[in-house]
Amino acid sequence: MFSLELLLDAVVLGVMVGCFYAAVSIGLSISFGLLDVPNVAHPALLVLASYGAWLLGDFDIDPIVAGFIMMPAFFLLGVMLYRTYHETFEKRGSDAGVRGLAFFFGIAFIIEVVIIMRFGVDQRTVQAFYIGKSIEILEVRIPMRMVAAFVVAILLSLALTLYLSKTFLGRAIRAVAQDEAALRLMGANPVAIKQWAFGIATAVVALAGALLIIVQPVEPTLDRAYIGRTFCVVVMAGLGSMSGTLVAGIILGVAETIVLTMFGASWAPAISFTLLLLVLGIRPQGLFGR
Amino acid sequence: MALRLAATGVDARYGAVRALNGASVTVEDGETVVLLGTNGNGKSTLMKCLMGIVRPVAGSIELEVDGTRHDLARLPTEEIVGLGVALVPEGRRLFPKLTVEENLMLGAFRKSARAQIATNLAFAYEAFPVLAERRRQLAGTMSGGQQQMLAIGRALMSSPRLLLVDEPSVGLSPLLVSQTITKIEELKKKFGLTVLMAEQNFHQAVRIADRGYIIVHGEIAFEGKTVAELQSNEIVKQLYLGGG
Ligand SMILES: Nc1ncnc2c1ncn2[C@@H]1O[C@H](COP(=O)(O)OP(=O)(O)O)[C@@H](O)[C@H]1O
Ligand SMILES: [Mg+2]
Repeated sequence: MFSLELLLDAVVLGVMVGCFYAAVSIGLSISFGLLDVPNVAHPALLVLASYGAWLLGDFDIDPIVAGFIMMPAFFLLGVMLYRTYHETFEKRGSDAGVRGLAFFFGIAFIIEVVIIMRFGVDQRTVQAFYIGKSIEILEVRIPMRMVAAFVVAILLSLALTLYLSKTFLGRAIRAVAQDEAALRLMGANPVAIKQWAFGIATAVVALAGALLIIVQPVEPTLDRAYIGRTFCVVVMAGLGSMSGTLVAGIILGVAETIVLTMFGASWAPAISFTLLLLVLGIRPQGLFGR
Repeated sequence: MALRLAATGVDARYGAVRALNGASVTVEDGETVVLLGTNGNGKSTLMKCLMGIVRPVAGSIELEVDGTRHDLARLPTEEIVGLGVALVPEGRRLFPKLTVEENLMLGAFRKSARAQIATNLAFAYEAFPVLAERRRQLAGTMSGGQQQMLAIGRALMSSPRLLLVDEPSVGLSPLLVSQTITKIEELKKKFGLTVLMAEQNFHQAVRIADRGYIIVHGEIAFEGKTVAELQSNEIVKQLYLGGG
């Protein structure tokens, strides 16, 4: 059952899968990690973006290109969602967290239902030149679509890390979670900053959703499989750390792939929750939390 | 080129707590005015009213900048900062997980300040060389004195004309308190600032003051037109000089 070769296979593939997990989690790393918004609708938005990429596929648009095309619309969607959340819950203070949770569950539910009513429950896939082929890395056969997702994931993490550390707005986004009142004294409007940041987090989901449908067939309820994964990655990373998100994604990816290879697919979904509980128990501030 | 701040009859409340009761304070161009009072008498509340963080329930707060009057009781904080007012808040309120330099850069968030960011950053590092040495260090890992320097440096990054400083002495050793107060005086001269400083530490505060107010239970209990007037005041003697 156990062989070194199988293990190497699992690790190499796991790193690829892990970077993909990082990409689908990085939006949440901003919205939940940095902004403290209990955005449980994140995976549903991801699936929504997958359907968007699938629809644009009808016009012979490459899914990654489709991801970029959808970004402005998702940005606006994010701005609207945050605005609603802020006006209805956040502004009122104290129990915003719990009731906000209900709000975002509602959004997730609506997205799921709308997709089912409009497109049915069938699995959807997209076409691209890199889907269906594979290449060899370290003598391990890796599907090309994983490589595509891997490359985009790395670039996305890099771009966001740079944006958050090198721009005025990026620094303000990191500051707003630490001390909103102090940020106001700098002449920034914290609500406007958060709204902008949530817009970016959601725009990133557009691209991540395109990666999702590149990596696997998508159905309306696929978001459920990603609730545990995305929150696991974000919490393990240490809330709001972009580079941490990449590392945490890889840890989850490798862990899942190894368990999948050694013990079978039925165990894989339990991995993310197990890791999440382990992290919360042993190091609640996450691997890179300070 | 004139600047004038006038808070008149300001009332402020936190629910049922009356934090300010008809407080009136003026600051003229180029002055260093101190607001003296022990804990819980409303110094910070007045500072917050001036920055638009706490809204007065009565009274007016007017800032005259080069002949134009602005109603600070109505303007949002961002715009007050834009008028050239900066607050070094009580307890520093740095962004602990950002580096020293990132904290400074955030001080120049407003578009008008960004244009002068290189100059102001150089000034801040010149004024506080230790900040230059530690520019990549996380603000939260610095000592209290260094954090106070960073808080002042950060406020200066917005090119303010009126600098509000709320209890710079809190949590610092006597030597550091003295150095910080001296530094404020130095920066004031260098940048041609107008300063309003809230303090509990009477002796240190009056070292750099032109005049000052004593605030007790949210009311201005005494207005000293000179430091000598403050020193000979009965309330001051009672509160600070062990006499009375
Ligand atoms: N956020 C707040 N909520 C309720 N009461 C407050 C708040 N901030 C200050 N107070 C009260 O208002 C009064 C004045 O406080 P403050 O302005 O902080 O005084 P000082 O800065 O002189 O120590 C005190 O009685 C204090 O307890
Ligand atoms: Mg105070």
